[in-house]
Amino acid sequence: MTPNGAAVFAIVTLAAAVAANLRGLGTLCFIVAAFAATEVRGPALTALRRSILIMLPLAAFMLAVWVGIVGRSPAEIAARVDGSRLSAFAYAATVSLRLFIIIFVVQAALMCFHNESPFTAIRALTLPLPVKRLVVLTLSLIATLRHAVDRSHTALVSSGVITRRLSLRNVMHGWVLIQSVWLTAITTVLGRVRDKWPAENTLVLLEPALRPIVRPPGTADVIWGAAALTGLAFVIFERVSGAA
Amino acid sequence: MFSTPRLITIALCAALNFAIGAIVYLVKLPIYLDSIGTILCALLLFPDRWASFICAMVAGLTSVAIIGLLVNPFYPWFAFTSVCIAAVSAFITSSGAHIFRARPAQPGSFAIRVILYGVITGVIAAIVSAPVVAYLFGGVTGSGSAFIVAMFLRSGQQLMNAVLLSGLAADPVDKVIQVLIAALLYRSTPADFIALVRGSGMPARA
Repeated sequence: MTPNGAAVFAIVTLAAAVAANLRGLGTLCFIVAAFAATEVRGPALTALRRSILIMLPLAAFMLAVWVGIVGRSPAEIAARVDGSRLSAFAYAATVSLRLFIIIFVVQAALMCFHNESPFTAIRALTLPLPVKRLVVLTLSLIATLRHAVDRSHTALVSSGVITRRLSLRNVMHGWVLIQSVWLTAITTVLGRVRDKWPAENTLVLLEPALRPIVRPPGTADVIWGAAALTGLAFVIFERVSGAA
Repeated sequence: MFSTPRLITIALCAALNFAIGAIVYLVKLPIYLDSIGTILCALLLFPDRWASFICAMVAGLTSVAIIGLLVNPFYPWFAFTSVCIAAVSAFITSSGAHIFRARPAQPGSFAIRVILYGVITGVIAAIVSAPVVAYLFGGVTGSGSAFIVAMFLRSGQQLMNAVLLSGLAADPVDKVIQVLIAALLYRSTPADFIALVRGSGMPARA
């Protein structure tokens, strides 16, 4: 499967998941599970684990708020009737299922290319060059910020300004850490722009490196694109027939 | 418009939004702190307000995409809020840029402007976000502010009112903190970096 095919499948399925009712979500679950089993295979388990890790705390939080605090569903609130915790539970479970499908589709689509670097996958996408450049730079700078956090934290701990554990000193000097992370990132970026990138000719080399290698859509792209569109059509049909 | 230093600033500010916003979302605080980079981007590019708006908007939308993909599946639906925050930052908040960098500091003016701009940003963000929270998610998203919505719903408020009241209670406080952090980071940003971003020329090596 090509990155463009995976992107189309993910986008169409996301659109369907946003609009789907419970039956539509069930259908989408089936399509997404089939996609994961046939296209992603082994790494689908990693995608599943990640999705559960993201979704489980969120689902628990929503259940706690809806069932524990509010105690009725939005429809019952709008109708000004005494609701039940069961309908609140059903509402929170449906929203959680919808979000789980959204997260899992994205993770599964990403895992299709687990053997490729993020750079290669981004390169293969049919997107305007400046957008790709921005995405690559942002991902690179997220890593730079992480390094800046590590460096600043270590420096401030070793100089005794903050401590490794929870302490009042950390609360009082937390701002110093934020400021030093920002300044570390800025100086790193300035160093790159002023010295490193011109010396290595990075930006000139980046443009051709991001130009896509033309990969024509394969059978898998067509099949899964059609499956996603079928799912979307079913969801729209369900909504229209439900409204009627 | 999108010179290399500006692209780097956009990416850096998007990364800042992601880094702080993701942490705050995961610990379920009733605030967001997910637009500090957007506000800072507008301040860094200040005199050119349109460039300031466009770059802040791109930084905001980039972080919306990345946070939505990696951490918070609710987040992409608030893309329009991010655009509004970029607009307020570029056309209103950035008017205080000279006060935020004044040397010596003017604590009175600084505090008044931070509170004023923070409240304006917060009220606009609350009004723009309320329909999304109410009609798409029934009032409860994954952020800690959902507790406030839940309290209002429990006290008998209708959904839209509960969401709007919760937004008006939490957003101004959140945005005042965000404007404060952005202003302080802007104040501490080296002048040669700002000159580079604003296109006043490549700084000489120290």
